[in-house]
Amino acid sequence: MNAAHNKRMRIFFTGVGGQGTLTATTLLARTALDAGLDVVAGEVHGMAQRGGVVESVILLGGWRSPKLDLGEADVLLGFEPLETLRALPYLQPGGSVFSSSDMLPPISVSLGKASYPLMAHIEEMTRQVAGQYHFIPCRELGAKAGSEQSGNTVLLSAVCASGLLPFGVNALKTAITKHLPHRLQEVNLKALELGCAFLAER
Amino acid sequence: MSDNPLLRGVRGERHLLLGNEAIVRGALEAGVHMISCYPGTPSSEVPDTFYRLGGDGRYRMEYSVNEKVAMEVAAGAALGGAMSLVTMKHVGLNVAADPLFTSVYTGLPGGMVVLTADDPGCHSSQNEQDNRTYARFAMLPCFEPATAQEAKDMTREAFRVARELQQPVMLRTTTRISHLRGAVEFDDLPEPQPKVPFTREPGRFVPVPAVALRRHEALTGIMEKARRFAESSRFTTVREAPAPTRLGIIASGVARDYLADALVAGGWETKAHVLELGMTWPLPEERIGTFLRTCDRVLVLEEGAPLLEHDIRALAQRLGITTQMEGKDDGLTGLAEYSTTLVMRRLASWLNLPCPAKPVRPIDKGLPGRPPNLCPGCSHRAVYYAARQVFGDTAIYSSDIGCYTLGLLPPLRTADFLVCMGSSISAGSGFARASGNQVVAFIGDSTFFHSGMTGLANAVFNQHDIILVILDNGTTAMTGHQPNPGMLQEKLGTDNTHMDIASIVQAMGVTQCTKVRAYNVRAVIKALEAMKGQKGVRVLIAEEPCVLYARRALKKVSPQVAEVAQQNSEAMRCLEQLACPAFYRDGDNLAVDSSLCSGCMVCLQVAPTAFKARKRQGGN
Repeated sequence: MNAAHNKRMRIFFTGVGGQGTLTATTLLARTALDAGLDVVAGEVHGMAQRGGVVESVILLGGWRSPKLDLGEADVLLGFEPLETLRALPYLQPGGSVFSSSDMLPPISVSLGKASYPLMAHIEEMTRQVAGQYHFIPCRELGAKAGSEQSGNTVLLSAVCASGLLPFGVNALKTAITKHLPHRLQEVNLKALELGCAFLAER
Repeated sequence: MSDNPLLRGVRGERHLLLGNEAIVRGALEAGVHMISCYPGTPSSEVPDTFYRLGGDGRYRMEYSVNEKVAMEVAAGAALGGAMSLVTMKHVGLNVAADPLFTSVYTGLPGGMVVLTADDPGCHSSQNEQDNRTYARFAMLPCFEPATAQEAKDMTREAFRVARELQQPVMLRTTTRISHLRGAVEFDDLPEPQPKVPFTREPGRFVPVPAVALRRHEALTGIMEKARRFAESSRFTTVREAPAPTRLGIIASGVARDYLADALVAGGWETKAHVLELGMTWPLPEERIGTFLRTCDRVLVLEEGAPLLEHDIRALAQRLGITTQMEGKDDGLTGLAEYSTTLVMRRLASWLNLPCPAKPVRPIDKGLPGRPPNLCPGCSHRAVYYAARQVFGDTAIYSSDIGCYTLGLLPPLRTADFLVCMGSSISAGSGFARASGNQVVAFIGDSTFFHSGMTGLANAVFNQHDIILVILDNGTTAMTGHQPNPGMLQEKLGTDNTHMDIASIVQAMGVTQCTKVRAYNVRAVIKALEAMKGQKGVRVLIAEEPCVLYARRALKKVSPQVAEVAQQNSEAMRCLEQLACPAFYRDGDNLAVDSSLCSGCMVCLQVAPTAFKARKRQGGN
C-alpha cells in the first residue's frame, strides 16, 4: 500500500429522501473496500427519510466515528443544491464540494411559503469555504445515460475522477459491474463516462 | 436457498455489513434457533434481515405483536432449550421489562440475548433513555459494540455467555452503531447449537415468593461469575501510552470511536493510557482498579447517562483510590450524541492543551427546511382532513406512534398529545374523563395490535367517552412494512394468520363501529358526523393500504393522476387545508407534480371544481 492508500478522508453525503443517496453511499463504500482500504460508512434510517434530509458519511483510511461534526469533512457530496448549501458547515475550510445542480424544492417552497435560494447565492457561499467545487447537472446527464436515477453515478464518478480519493474511476467501474444488478450496469457505466467527461471539460 | 453471504459466507471472508447485519451474522455463528422481535428504528434491520434470509431451516423467526410478547416468546424458547434472540428499540424494553426482570431470576437454560437499540439524539424516537441502566437494574451482563466487526463478534460472545450462565444477556447498540457499515471478517458458521433439554424444576422456574428470594440471591453469585468473564474478556483492552504518563481515559460504546479519532486528530496518542470497555456490565472491577492506580487523573467518556462514571467513582471510593476523576462536565453532558470534535474539545481542556478543532460557521437556520411529511397519497392525510372538517379545534386529538404522528404538522394539526405506543386510546380516555372534551384518538393497525387492544378493552370496561379512528393501512409502515396480524392473508403467506380488526373491536363490546375507505372523504366525514354527538366508545376503521406498500408489495398504481382544471378559490383552499406534497405553486397558480401524484383523488373530492383526473402517462 502506498501513502495515498493510507490517507485519512472523511466524506459527507447529503440529499433528499428517495433520491438514492444511501445506495450511492454503499456503492462508494464497497468500492473503497474492494480497493483494499479501511472504510466505515454511517447513515441514519427511519423517520428522517419521509421526504426529509438524508445524510450519510464515508470514512477512509482509519477514521472510525460514524457521525461527522461541523468542519470535519474533506469532501462534501451534495445530491441537491439546497442540501449542499445547508451542509456546507460540515466541510472543513478548503475542502472540496461536488454537487448536483438539480433543485428539489421543499414543500414550504412548493406551497409558496418560502423561497428557494438563488443558484448564484449557493455557488458564492460554496466558493467562500471550498478549495474546489463543481455543480453538475446530474439529472440531465443521467437522463442522457438512460435514466435520471443514474445521475447519482455521475456525481460519484466526478469525485472519483477528481483524483482526491485514494482510488480512481476504474475502481468505481469495477464496483458497478460487481455490485449493481446486471440490468442497471450499462446505464450506470454510461453515466460514469459522462461524469468523467463533465469534470474533464472544466 | 439464499445465496446471501450472511448464510453462505465461510471463515475468513470479508464483507461490508451494516451493524445490524453484522449482528445477524454473529447470531448465526453462535448457532441461534429462534428470533422474535417488534420492529423499531434503529433495531429493525436485524429481524428484517433474518426474515429476508429465510434461514434454510436453521432458525425460526417471528414478528411478535409487541416487545413484551416477543421477549416472552424468546424466554420461553430459551426455557425450552433454544438459543434465542429478541430485538427491539430502546423504548421497547420498557414494554418488555416485566418478563426481563423475572427471567433473570429463573435463568434461561438455552440462553437468550436481548438486543436493545438505543437512540441518543432522538433520530426517530420519543426519548433518549440509556438502556445500559436496565443491565444494572435487572442484573444482566451487557455488551456494547463500537464497530461492525464488534457487532458480529460481541453478538457471538453474548450468546456464549448467555448459554454458559443460562442467563439473559444484553446487547446494546446505539443508532450510529446499528446503522454504520464496515468490513466484517467472518468466522465459521456451525450448525445451530444443540438444545438444552428442559428439566422440570418448579423451585427455580416458578418464582413464587420463596423461590424468588432464593433466586435473587443466586443471581448475585451469577453476576459475580459474569464479572470474571468481563475481567478476562477480549473486549476489555488497555492501550498503554508509548510515553510515561499518569493520565488515563476510560471509554465505552460509540465514545470509543470518537475518542480514537480525537486522539489522532489532536496528535495526542502519546498523552494518555486508554482502557476500552466492550463488556460493560458487570464491570471488570479488578482491571479498572489496576488502571486507576496507574493514573493520577482519569477521564471517563460515555455517551448518554453518566453510568460508568458514577460506578467507577464509587468503585474508586470503595478501593480507597484517590485518582482524580472527570466525566460529564466541562462541555460533556448526558444529552444527545457525542462527536469527535466534542470529545477533542474536552480532551484539550483536560490535557490543558490548545484544541486544533477550528471554529466553523453554524448551520443556516434560515434556509427552507425539509421536515418529514406524510407521503403524497397517504391515506392518513385524507382522514385527518376529514376529522378537521368535522371537529376543527373543538376536539382534542390523541395521537399514537407511527407515520401518522406526522399529523401534528400544519395544516392537519391532528396530534395534541402523545405518550407512547398504544396510549392514544387509554390516555385519550383519561383526558376525556378529566376535561369533558371530545377526544378523537388515532392509532395505526400495527400499534392497535401492539398495545391498543388493551386500551380499547379498558375504554369499553370503564365506559369512557372516546372516538377512536383506526388508521388501517395494512402494514407496519414507518419501520419498513413488516407484517402484522392485520395484513392481508395473501401477503402473510402460510406462516401467519390474518386477524380482522372490525371483528376484534365488535367482540370487545363496541356497538358503534363503522368501517370506511380512507380515500372516500365523504364517507369518513359522514361516519364521524354520526359519531360526533354520541356517548361511549365509538370506533371508525379507515382502511386503505399504505401508498408505498401498495406500490411496492401489492403492485398497485393508480392509472390516473390529478391535474388542476380551474384556478379558483377552491383550489387555493385545498392547497391550504390538504397540503399534499404533490402540489406546488407555479407563480400565482396551483399545479400538481404528476411524478409525485399517487392518484388517490382525494383532492378531487375536497375541491371538485378545481381538479380533474387524467390518464397517467407512461413515465409517471
